[in-house]
Amino acid sequence: MGSRKLLVAAVAVVAIAAGTWLSFNTSAPPAEPRVATLLPAKVELPEFALLDHTGSPVDRSVFDGQWDLVFFGFTHCPDICPLTLQVLASARSQMADEGFEVLPRIVLVSVDPERDAPEKLARYVGYFGDGTFGITGELDELRKLTGALGIWFEKSALDGDDYAVDHSAAVLLIDPEGSYRAVFSTPHEAENFAHDVPIIMGLR
Amino acid sequence: MRLPVVVILTLLAACGSDAPPVVATDVVVKRPMPGMQMSAGYLTLRNNSDTDIAIDRVTSPQFGKVEMHETVIEDGVSRMRALGEVSVPAGSAVEFKPGGKHLMLMRPGDDLDSVTLEFHSGESMILSVSVTAGD
Repeated sequence: MGSRKLLVAAVAVVAIAAGTWLSFNTSAPPAEPRVATLLPAKVELPEFALLDHTGSPVDRSVFDGQWDLVFFGFTHCPDICPLTLQVLASARSQMADEGFEVLPRIVLVSVDPERDAPEKLARYVGYFGDGTFGITGELDELRKLTGALGIWFEKSALDGDDYAVDHSAAVLLIDPEGSYRAVFSTPHEAENFAHDVPIIMGLR
Repeated sequence: MRLPVVVILTLLAACGSDAPPVVATDVVVKRPMPGMQMSAGYLTLRNNSDTDIAIDRVTSPQFGKVEMHETVIEDGVSRMRALGEVSVPAGSAVEFKPGGKHLMLMRPGDDLDSVTLEFHSGESMILSVSVTAGD
């Protein structure tokens, strides 16, 4: 009889252990970004001197204190630039709807500083809501920032005196310490940003 | 978030026969954003005829200049290309849509009223505009 009790106890211990093991292994796996590419190491931003959309001087500290989704474009671009900013604004509101209180700022860095004076950029970014911020300035200073982030841009002649600016279409995620953390390649979809950004921010 | 006001263009030309040979649908022009000197227009043009057609030029009395452009993303780089002409082979359709071919409408004047497609054949098609309410 004693050995029978011992056997029951042993079975119970094994069952509890198995149950515990199972509960660990059947719990939700850690969330993984769906499309974002995480940088293997944080990339610190270089020194630069640019202007924000209100005309105030900004340096690398402009990226401190909040998460930023950074897109490079220009206001004289009627198709893809507003489309991308709408995708980002929509992702931001999806995150808000999901209950996230900390939301990334959306930053448009103009690759056409010749035409994008702060005042013009202010009207443009204002169109996409309060969480949108614009950066412009001198071309040489701009190249310091884009060069460090691997963003390419170049003027491209159109008919007459008009020109467009060809530019890298990626959206970058910069953390509150001002380090470049992840990159989103095209095609840009709001659902993907709304899914991945909170994971990288450590909220999901 | 504020969405662009969308104005819907309706087809005026190419009516009359039972099966219109060329039909424009989903014709929208975004109202230029405040302070912006340009906007984008989109449409689908279906060629039901048995003759290939090509759009040579687009004009609008309400814009200083209209060009056909295409956004192309190659190797992660977004490029905008001016299109000289856009052909629509017999029995097919061409789509001008966000992120692809689009009309670049520059130097807006007063309220948008119409856009004219001029074809290689010398014919043209006027797309009239009705402005939807909204914001």
